[in-house]
Amino acid sequence: MRESDVIVIGSGFAGLIAAAAADKRGKKVTVLSKGVGTLTIGGGTIDLLGYGNDGRPLANPAAGLAAIEPAHPYKKIGSPAIYAAIKFFLAICESAGYPYLGRLEEMKWIPTAAGTLKPTCLVPKTMDTTCLKSAHTVYAAGFQGLKDYYPHLVAKNLSKLPGYDKNYEIVMVNPHFTDGRDVSALDVARWLDTGTGRKECIRQLVKKVKAGAVILMPPVLGTSPDYQVLEEMETALDCRLVETVAIPPSVTGFRLRSMMLNYLKTAGVRIIEQVSVARAIMEKGKCLGVVTQNIDRERTYYAKNFILANGGFYGGGLRAEPGQAIEPIFNLPVEAPAKQEEWGNRQLFSPEKQSFAKIGITVDNKMRPLAPNGSIAIENIFIAGRNLRGYDFCFEKSGNGVALASGYQAAMSV
Amino acid sequence: MKMYQHNPDNCTACTACVSQCPVTAVTRKFRGPKMVGPALERLRLSQEDAEPSLEYCSNCKNCDMACPSGVPISTLNMLARAKSFKNRKHSLGEELLAHGEKMAKLAVNLPGGAFFANMGMHIGSGLGLMRMVGITGQRSLPAYAAESFLSQFKKLRQQIFPDKVVFYPGCFINYNDPQVGMDFVAVMQANRYEVIVEEEFVCCGSPMVVTGYLAEAEQHAEKNSELIKKWREKSVPVITCCTSCGLMLKQEYQELYDIEGLAENAKNLYDACEFLLLLADKGKLNTQFAALEEKVIYHAPCHLRAQGFGLPALDLLEFIPGLTVENADAGCCGLSGNYGFKADKYDISMDIGERLFARIKGSGTATAVSDCGTCRLQIAHGAGVAAVHPVTLLRQAYQR
Ligand SMILES: Cc1cc2nc3c(=O)[nH]c(=O)nc-3n(C[C@H](O)[C@H](O)[C@H](O)COP(=O)(O)OP(=O)(O)OC[C@H]3O[C@@H](n4cnc5c(N)ncnc54)[C@H](O)[C@@H]3O)c2cc1C
Ligand code: SF4
Ligand code: SF4
Repeated sequence: MRESDVIVIGSGFAGLIAAAAADKRGKKVTVLSKGVGTLTIGGGTIDLLGYGNDGRPLANPAAGLAAIEPAHPYKKIGSPAIYAAIKFFLAICESAGYPYLGRLEEMKWIPTAAGTLKPTCLVPKTMDTTCLKSAHTVYAAGFQGLKDYYPHLVAKNLSKLPGYDKNYEIVMVNPHFTDGRDVSALDVARWLDTGTGRKECIRQLVKKVKAGAVILMPPVLGTSPDYQVLEEMETALDCRLVETVAIPPSVTGFRLRSMMLNYLKTAGVRIIEQVSVARAIMEKGKCLGVVTQNIDRERTYYAKNFILANGGFYGGGLRAEPGQAIEPIFNLPVEAPAKQEEWGNRQLFSPEKQSFAKIGITVDNKMRPLAPNGSIAIENIFIAGRNLRGYDFCFEKSGNGVALASGYQAAMSV
Repeated sequence: MKMYQHNPDNCTACTACVSQCPVTAVTRKFRGPKMVGPALERLRLSQEDAEPSLEYCSNCKNCDMACPSGVPISTLNMLARAKSFKNRKHSLGEELLAHGEKMAKLAVNLPGGAFFANMGMHIGSGLGLMRMVGITGQRSLPAYAAESFLSQFKKLRQQIFPDKVVFYPGCFINYNDPQVGMDFVAVMQANRYEVIVEEEFVCCGSPMVVTGYLAEAEQHAEKNSELIKKWREKSVPVITCCTSCGLMLKQEYQELYDIEGLAENAKNLYDACEFLLLLADKGKLNTQFAALEEKVIYHAPCHLRAQGFGLPALDLLEFIPGLTVENADAGCCGLSGNYGFKADKYDISMDIGERLFARIKGSGTATAVSDCGTCRLQIAHGAGVAAVHPVTLLRQAYQR
């Protein structure tokens, strides 16, 4: 019988971090994964904490952490582990040749495709906005045919924001896509992956931009987790390039996922794709193995410990049923308001956190699931990511941050 | 009622599939899995609407593996492709590529047939005849072996053991690469299993399904399923060495056809390496391997990854002392069954494979390992190194 030290269920950001951190501790890790998780949809930025409970932007994530409510996963994890998780992640990026920037004491406000600013904490170098401070001229670049990305809108809305009153000029690049297919940022990024694409893009831009300026771009600077495209274009144009946050498919998320997968595979972590974990084999309150259900037959995977990182309602980690929310694999207790009417706050864009978003599994400070009476529900299960109770990632901008910190903490506890 | 429903409404338009589709990545002629699969399926349910870019889907299944909502995107594509042939005819090239088994039977049943057929293909290719029917002249069609697997197998004297398995060779191993079948038999013998080959098995139907011959493939599915059922009832496992055959028999039959007993049959079907690794789990694998002082690079076929049990060959090859195995981890090879043999898909196929070729060439290894026959062809063609099935290495290590 093959037995892993740790089985990680789910390969979203929480699962990938948990697997990496457990491997780093010398554990034999197997990842069981269905689908690619939300990284390729959401951005590749690590939002730690953008807004406080009152919905107001925080001075920096660390300040927000100090005032976080007791039920929040961050409170359980605690500051030292959060700092350690960030350090761990930044070290992976560094070793992969794709360093991220940022620290807990600094809020980064990065421009979006709508010309607004969004708070985040750790970003790839392509999203470093410090060059904007001293810039006089900012070019808002667009690509012919790119869906839902309008550089004039970016420029118009940004120009109204403090620190962004610059001299804006719009520049368009034509990637010569002559077919009828929709153009996504991923398509443009793949064009720029090629030498001919980069050359052509530079050829068109160099005529239109002045040296020393900043060029705001959609996130298209290549699909591989490195800065080759950024560096080559910055050198050729003698300008600084900044990627904005745009709609899915997310190129920055794609890069981040590739980086993590490369890291795990090089480390020798086994990743089993296209499996759906259906149930657990329990003995005396401990989980011995999990059973995957595929179209052919069930298979059992054994481990000493399990990290449950299979996401929330989106993706299948939690399931909503009439009158209750359930966790389908271990049937762990899920805390949700008793009346389903109370799950949602009628105002979709209300100034309060949505209670459905806070539905999830209650844990102790080691990320072990708790029963309603406060006892540990199952000894050798640890929870990470979107299925945790007590936070609204959308409201507070903490999605990948909670995934990172809880994935790390779970791995430290196994 | 089919166990698997094809409900396009499960799609949340998240674009995860688009980000992972190797064809979408290299050509703009394909509109991508989300659009061609679930989005257009909603239209197709109400009206007949042929999407011309549908022909670009290679049925590699990377979209299915990416989807968080379990939409069987590739199968939606194959069903729509078959429908599109209601109003048009197959080209001669499609006819040929879908019916490799028929062609092979014609060729090898004549005296000296394989030799002359190979020669004919060679000349045909030289004269540009292949290109005229839509088959690329830039790579050779897989050559027929001088003697088929079945014929070699029949002459083999096996040791008789109480434990038995049935081997499903599939067309490629039977006609083009019989050595893999012979190696498999030797490996099973070394593990005290007797191998039964069911002569009545026919082509799994995969090349037909991807070329739109859905009804014809259904007849094959019925025939094979009946035979698999027979062995299932005797509790003898049925094993494949070809990942595309395996996927077809276990999964795609269930997704496409309403044949009795498919779900039960699937429980009795195994991939060769998975089966051997299960033996290892039970402590029953013969691990008397001699050292193979060699470094090889492993390529995981998409149709293996899609089966949802990981990469058993990697675990299995670890038992061989001295052998260093590197995982190429470079995505789809690009050939996808008969896809890369089509003249207008050759460049796409090579562009997809480029990452893998570069990875293999850069590794400095002389041997690549892959469970899929067409992946091996593509590796030999694109990276210029010999590629073998994992069972071939196992056999070598047993023999030393
Ligand atoms: C559109 C969108 C944009 C976002 N943008 C940002 C952003 O810019 N910055 C940020 O910080 N956060 C963002 N977020 C939030 C962030 O993506 C998530 O909070 C975080 O990544 C969640 O990670 P996870 O690993 O917990 O879950 P997921 O990414 O959902 O991963 C869970 C994985 O588990 C798999 N799974 C589920 N059930 C099973 C099973 N039974 N067996 C095996 N596998 C299973 C799923 O298929 C999935 O792959 C965004 C979210 C969305 C939806
Ligand atoms: S099967 Fe492969 S080629 Fe076809 S849509 Fe899916 S990922 Fe793309
Ligand atoms: S991955 Fe699945 S849910 Fe997402 S767009 Fe593709 S088919 Fe739809």
